[in-house]
Amino acid sequence: MSSADWKNYEPVLIPNVKDIHKIDVYIKNGGYSALKSVLTDKKKWADSKSVVDEVKAANIRGRGGAGFNAGLKWSFMPPADGGPRYLACNGDESEPGTFKDRKIFEYNPHVFIEGALIAAYAMQITTIYVYIRGEYLAYIKMMEKAIQDAYDKGMIGKNIFGSDYSVDFHVTYGAGAYICGEETSMLESLEGKRGYPRVKPPFPAQKGLWGRPTTINNIETLAHVPSVINRGAGWFSSIGAENHPGPILYGISGHVNRPGVYELPSGIPILDLIHDVAGGMKNGKKLKAVIPGGSSTPVLRADQLEGITMDSESLRTAGTMLGTAGMVVMDEDTDMVDMLWRITHFYHHESCGQCTPCREGTGWLEKIMLKIKNGNGEVKDLDLLLDITTQMEGRTICALADAAAWPVRHTITRFRDEFEARCKKSAHAVV
Amino acid sequence: MPEVFIDGKRYEYEGEQRLLQFIQDQGMEVPFFCYHPSMTAPANCRQCMVKVGQPVKDRETGEYEKDEDGERVIRWFPKLQTSCNIMIADGMVVKTQETDDLVKRAQKDNLELILINHPLDCPICDQAGECPLQIQTYKYGPEGSRFEVKKVHKPKRVQLGPRVVLDAERCINCTRCTRFTEEISKTHQLTITSRGDKNYPTAAPGREFDDPYSLNTVDLCPVGALTSADFRFKARVWEMNQTPSIDISNGKGCNIDIWTRDNLVLRITPRFNEEVNDYWMPDEGREAYKRFNENRVSRPLQKLDNEQVNSSWNNAIATISEQVDGVDKKDVTIIASPHASVEENYILAKFASLLGMNPPVFTPHVEKGKGDGFLLTDDLAPNANGCRLLGFEEKSAAGIAAAVEKAKVVLLLSDHLADRGIITTDKLKDTFVAVFATNHSETTKNADLVVPITTAAEHAASYVNVDGRIQRTFPAKETKYSNRRLDLEMSEGRLDRYGTSFDNWITEENKIDCLPLWRFMSELAAYKGMENFAYTSGREIMDEIAAANDLFSGVSYEAMDEQSGITLDKTKTTVKL
Amino acid sequence: MEYEFTKEDLKEIEKIKAKYPEVMPATLPVLWVAQNRFGHVEPEVQRLVAKTLGLPEAHVHGVATFYTQYYKEKKGKYVLDVCTCLSCQLCGGYDILEHLEKTLGIKKGETTQDGKFTLNEVECLGACGYAPMLQITNDKYINNLTVEKTDKLIDMLKKDEEPEYEEIEMPLRKVK
Repeated sequence: MSSADWKNYEPVLIPNVKDIHKIDVYIKNGGYSALKSVLTDKKKWADSKSVVDEVKAANIRGRGGAGFNAGLKWSFMPPADGGPRYLACNGDESEPGTFKDRKIFEYNPHVFIEGALIAAYAMQITTIYVYIRGEYLAYIKMMEKAIQDAYDKGMIGKNIFGSDYSVDFHVTYGAGAYICGEETSMLESLEGKRGYPRVKPPFPAQKGLWGRPTTINNIETLAHVPSVINRGAGWFSSIGAENHPGPILYGISGHVNRPGVYELPSGIPILDLIHDVAGGMKNGKKLKAVIPGGSSTPVLRADQLEGITMDSESLRTAGTMLGTAGMVVMDEDTDMVDMLWRITHFYHHESCGQCTPCREGTGWLEKIMLKIKNGNGEVKDLDLLLDITTQMEGRTICALADAAAWPVRHTITRFRDEFEARCKKSAHAVV
Repeated sequence: MPEVFIDGKRYEYEGEQRLLQFIQDQGMEVPFFCYHPSMTAPANCRQCMVKVGQPVKDRETGEYEKDEDGERVIRWFPKLQTSCNIMIADGMVVKTQETDDLVKRAQKDNLELILINHPLDCPICDQAGECPLQIQTYKYGPEGSRFEVKKVHKPKRVQLGPRVVLDAERCINCTRCTRFTEEISKTHQLTITSRGDKNYPTAAPGREFDDPYSLNTVDLCPVGALTSADFRFKARVWEMNQTPSIDISNGKGCNIDIWTRDNLVLRITPRFNEEVNDYWMPDEGREAYKRFNENRVSRPLQKLDNEQVNSSWNNAIATISEQVDGVDKKDVTIIASPHASVEENYILAKFASLLGMNPPVFTPHVEKGKGDGFLLTDDLAPNANGCRLLGFEEKSAAGIAAAVEKAKVVLLLSDHLADRGIITTDKLKDTFVAVFATNHSETTKNADLVVPITTAAEHAASYVNVDGRIQRTFPAKETKYSNRRLDLEMSEGRLDRYGTSFDNWITEENKIDCLPLWRFMSELAAYKGMENFAYTSGREIMDEIAAANDLFSGVSYEAMDEQSGITLDKTKTTVKL
Repeated sequence: MEYEFTKEDLKEIEKIKAKYPEVMPATLPVLWVAQNRFGHVEPEVQRLVAKTLGLPEAHVHGVATFYTQYYKEKKGKYVLDVCTCLSCQLCGGYDILEHLEKTLGIKKGETTQDGKFTLNEVECLGACGYAPMLQITNDKYINNLTVEKTDKLIDMLKKDEEPEYEEIEMPLRKVK
């Protein structure tokens, strides 16, 4: 299905089925058949590697923001050696603008559970953890129930569907730390520690949880797996944009009439998403800017949006990224200085403090932004800000420093006049 | 052999090696803060950035691909790498700040960031002068700061434990201290609290950082965040002399540095020795610095009418000579000491043997349960094994007490037997007791003659530790009779070299009126007309011991210096009581 | 005050420990058990957690202080975490925060004298489409706040009436 045809798209991730979150309803609608297939249909799935290959061919690009081919990631797991191996499902979703995985927890937890189980089987994993951000208490409870239900139905546990495959599945959760969405920080947190990202190498596939091979996948990424198994890699990769195929859960927030989460093919024109899908701009205001995929993805001016579609290729040419597809829409009244200050505040607050450039840089960025916001900034501060971003980017263990640097660099560059105007005003005020 | 190219120069290497360590081992430098060779590398300070690349190999032939000039094609890592956590690989090409401007810039950028919230209070900071942050800022840092907003404020002057004080604002979050309590001392007493730029190390609330090894965190701290409660504000490091020595507070023989100023020992820090103590030492050993300064016996004391009065060296010599000559040689008991050096014990034994007296006996100083399997030992003396190797009879406490009781003259070397309950002071009443001692004690108080001798901080002498390793000290502080300028064993500090008589720290006050035991015994021998008994240094005594005693063969000061100590035949050093 | 876990707590802690191959991973969940029991994880409670799990106190302290949802000090009965981050900022999160400051007579970070309310400004809670919003004591999300809705919420909470869980459908989803 092409992106342009989105109006006729029939959702698969969170289908239009009442009470699909209940395991009986889920099963009645074909749920867990993909799991059953990979475990029992030896003709179709000769071994676990064939599952990995299928998912790799589908090119499910990680929906947590990095966009890495999930099946390829799975193939990095070393051969099973009889010891424990882990799948850690990343449900920490905390990037401002992102609120999509919670819809899976709430409306179709079993599609994620099934996807995780297939992933676990494909990688010969013995234990699955789903790590959910601590604030999502409601969803934590929903997931605990769903997993218990799946245990009760024999979907999780010993010898699933009579096969020789057994696996455990546990819910675990955070307690307020954006950084735990970074995959190795999440592993540290899962191990009961301060959420400091780990130095790579070794990568989690070599040494993950408790030093054992571990794969980390985003919730939505795993939720796509059952339909890939059921309908084939070709079906998945034919949906939406070729370079970033499949359905995507778009989260749209900000100044639109109908904010929310939408399941649609990838590659939809940004302007369609704003004006058609999300019901257009609130109060008939003019569109000023869009952050396409969470706060760390560089902002685009309204005049940069024509013809840009929601896929990695198109967004890259526009000078930004797809990220989590959590789009934040800003109208003409938006104060870009205030907006950027708030983003710098967020990253300053959430820096774990491990690496120097991030620990010190995020605070410095915020303090200068505050100065500018309060009318005390000078134009040279803008150049200093840009300089600090180069001092931070690419110099730290994880990408939080990059995530903090990009919005500063691009918001200032793309809205330079507005920033300078704020600075100049203060210069005149002094005179 | 695998090879690596650093700044254009080829090096061969063997085994698994961290790039940063390898660079240092070649005598080159890359600045860093968090890395420590004996602990895990968290790569959190981000200072040791270098540019790293690998040559591209042809997949089929396995040969290196070459460019038009015949040079290997290098695939550079897209980002700069922290050299502390990169393992060297065959063919790796590395560019440090010496040859790459981006690396230079990255290191400078990082230092600017480290410094923005640092208080820059070097003039009042104990670490100044030996501060990696200060040194590396001068070498690699920016010339000024562009930080014109408010610094983060954190707790200052926090007494983390009895011996360690924290200034959290100075902390650069390298986590060396927390890693130390996790990985080395394993008390797990420290953690980083809070998050982001509010981070700082702390003990659990309401708990003391009383780790028996806590002061190592002060050494480890690359800034002045952790300081020693005792040493704090006592001296600027450049005012002190640093002299290598051996910890004499227990049997491990941790290698140490003694830091003196105006002949007062102000602090003791560990000195690296892979075979003994790595980079560490127990806090107890550091507190032993006081023994070198306080409560010292200075000039001989003699008991007259039941009261000790100052005496003279001539008088001390004459008195011992008289007492020894006045009794049957069999009635002289000589007690050697596990607290004294091999050389001192040897000289005493030789003296006894030449005069036909009983050979020395000794008793070890052991407190069961004191040891921890790390650097604390049950043995509280530095040289019990030295006494054993010299062939001295090892007696129980009761055995020593009996030997004292039946003697008419006792010559006691550096062992405060009364203080440690081996003998009671009334047992000393009817016997003439001459004590060779460094410090006053109940034992010296009850002696008829006290001869002041040098401490380990004042002489060069050797000690055999619990593992049979012989290691030696250097004189760190002058006595009334020694001179830094003349004694080649002694170090000269900045003040010695460049100071003037107007400098505040040059006085005569702290020089103790004492002699090395061998000097005193040589004087005594000369007085008695003995031949071949004139020693001026521990060095010549050790040469003599090595020639005479197989167990010490091959031992010399040169050899000990070269090999950081020598492990002797262990089987001979473990005599059971 | 001496803090003790109840028998049920200890049973739950055993269940938590069974999920992991080591004890340390139980740190976060057991801190949660403690906070649910005592309303906070003050140092004494951190110590209880360390003792119960046989882990170093410093470790538990380090963890407790890293994560913002653990209350390192006593809080009001209702902790109102108002999100002001990005989408909430754009949609009036600060207006809600200021309104609450005025209504409750406290500044953000403070607790009302009667110990009923603590008001916090927090980072993104993952409800961007339903901005502005707040969370009550690490539990329910109250979405699409207006001044009127906020006032109503405060009135309810004053009477200890707890609001319902708000389900928000996906706009295009047409359940059959």
